[in-house]
Amino acid sequence: MVRLADLPPDERQHLMAKNMEPLRPPVFVATRKPLAQRRVALITTAGLHTRDEPSFDLMDASYRVIPGDLRGDELVMSHSSVNFDRSGFQEDLNVVFPIDRFRELVDEGVVGSLADVHFSFMGSLVLPPVLEAGARHVAGLLRKDGVDTAFLTPV
Amino acid sequence: MSAIAYFLESEGIQTTGISLVRENTAALEPPRFLWASFPLGRPLGKPGDPAFQRRVILAALGLLERGSGPVLEDYPEDVPELAAEDTRACPVSFARGAGAQAGAAGWEGRLAAELALMGPWYALSVRRRGRTTVGIAKAPLDALIGRLAAALEAPLLEGTDLKALKYALEDLKAYYQEALTAQPGHHDFQETARVLWQETELGGAMLALHERFLGHEDRRFKAFARGIAPRSQTRGRGGD
Repeated sequence: MVRLADLPPDERQHLMAKNMEPLRPPVFVATRKPLAQRRVALITTAGLHTRDEPSFDLMDASYRVIPGDLRGDELVMSHSSVNFDRSGFQEDLNVVFPIDRFRELVDEGVVGSLADVHFSFMGSLVLPPVLEAGARHVAGLLRKDGVDTAFLTPV
Repeated sequence: MSAIAYFLESEGIQTTGISLVRENTAALEPPRFLWASFPLGRPLGKPGDPAFQRRVILAALGLLERGSGPVLEDYPEDVPELAAEDTRACPVSFARGAGAQAGAAGWEGRLAAELALMGPWYALSVRRRGRTTVGIAKAPLDALIGRLAAALEAPLLEGTDLKALKYALEDLKAYYQEALTAQPGHHDFQETARVLWQETELGGAMLALHERFLGHEDRRFKAFARGIAPRSQTRGRGGD
């Protein structure tokens, strides 16, 4: 559905304006490790957090911790953009944050294990350099948890 | 999101995931992403379809096997458009302006009357889904309506709490959307948005608020208009 050619001109223009220069230097970890031996964390930029945590600000590069054992009814979304659908998330958390699908994959032995905690950012109006400190800090926390793989979902 | 993947990978964490705007991801050249043609807000494609979501996840995880990058692969499945006869109709009949004719005073009265109409459907939604996404404002709904009415009717002052207003709008929208889609079955999200924005008092209030902020001379208020109403509902009205 989101093929730029199919969108109204103003929408296309808005999204194209978000194109930025390539991130440099290029990075690529080329470890070939079976999925069944990987420990995976979910990282979302949907502005999700547990109900009792502070909501995201209008422009906000901070992150929230999502407990690995959370129940689906604990998560709310305070992303500042109004230009994406939220009814999918309201119907099924997994269409944005696929925690139940990953739990199933771990139960079946397809994926090794899941992180103790996952992380949520709010991906709107925040440029890459502003996100760097938070993302590197999260990387350190993931390493301490033995996580080797991150699965990222936007909105 | 590409930037977060980049910084995690540069710290040794392998990354993969879903991209929804291919051009933006291609420009930044993060290590690996699977582009999917799904609507913004639905990176796994289809709510309530575990098999579909699982296929998307496994395709993205499969990119971890690549020996070099950057990798940006296209996912082959689309989400088919729903046929009108397969979707649930809106459960509530709205007559925007009827509240005013019936004597409800001001925005606050009209919104409160409409909220009462939505109540049973919202309760049904919570019962069916076992959850609600209302709650970021951390305040009761009547207070949120009061906040919205005040922003429409009172002078906008430098000290106006835009964050509190934004949270009020998002909670009210979530309440309505959950109520409008309370019944089981498929819902066309574009139709739900159309009903919310074009048929309800809340939609009318938010569009009026958007106009009010957009026309304000203070740049802070003008910029805030973008966080009130989506471009899809303000097209041709100067919305960004």
